Amino acid sequence: MRTSSAVAPAFFIPRHGMCPSSHREEASRDGVVTTSTSDFEQLTMPYLADVARFARSLTRDEVRADDLVQDTYLQAMRGWHTFQPGSDPRRWLFTICHHMFLRTIRREARYVDAPEDDPELDSMATAKAHWRAMDAGVADIVDRMDLADAIGRALGTLPEHYRIVVVLIDVEGYSYEDAAEILDVALGTVRSRLFRARRLLQDMLFEYARDAHFEKAR
Amino acid sequence: MTHSPQDDAATPHVAHIDCEATIRRLWDYLDGRLPEMARAEVEAHLATCAYCPPHFVFARTMQGALAASTPAAADTDEDRLRERVRAALRRLADETR
Repeated sequence: MRTSSAVAPAFFIPRHGMCPSSHREEASRDGVVTTSTSDFEQLTMPYLADVARFARSLTRDEVRADDLVQDTYLQAMRGWHTFQPGSDPRRWLFTICHHMFLRTIRREARYVDAPEDDPELDSMATAKAHWRAMDAGVADIVDRMDLADAIGRALGTLPEHYRIVVVLIDVEGYSYEDAAEILDVALGTVRSRLFRARRLLQDMLFEYARDAHFEKAR
Repeated sequence: MTHSPQDDAATPHVAHIDCEATIRRLWDYLDGRLPEMARAEVEAHLATCAYCPPHFVFARTMQGALAASTPAAADTDEDRLRERVRAALRRLADETR
């Protein structure tokens, strides 16, 4: 079951600019109620580096990532009234960041949703691939590789919907439940995408190892 | 020492599971998402199987490498980005006054 309403819904766009909230509003000279940026910045700016890292993981492009961070903060400020005091600002910002990212890539028609298969079959396939790699001596090469570099390269080639889940859970350390909240998908979807992502990552590591072995043998 | 039915009730029997059942639980086990009995079944199998443990070890290694990676942090100039975001926020605030 998904957890509480601690995180604001991803699809908030105020109809009339910033909605007032009792402890965050201030009146301008013409009497229009607006939001002070100071409270907002105090709460959200400490997470800028985290959001930037997440945005970079999503976009794989520095310029696009910076644009996404800016869009995230602007959208967060527009929806500041929806933030639940006491909830996790980082997770709230990640939710918005992911939503803004999806909005962009859907506009660019680059998003293809993943089929939801039996995740445990991916566990089986992962083990079988590892067994074959051990048989061929490839697993030993992986053990000697610069795994951090290989993982970084492999992550960059994963389809977006897989990369996002593995970044949230394996890199950022979120739980399945938190990832489901951020992505606004079912827990089972998170699990199946995560297992598939790890299988694909492992396949890529073995591919790099085979290439490295081939290069060395030439 | 005698073995009574009460002992069985107090310490439930860990069922034997085969390699396929164990491997199916690989990620759930490593992610700490298995119920206690299912976890015990995996551990009992791993303790006696020659085939399965290397898969778990490799999967754990890969998870460790992922956890240690920060693929997006490399080139981000945080101060510059922070100023850019703050400027955008001020413009937004001004527009709504």
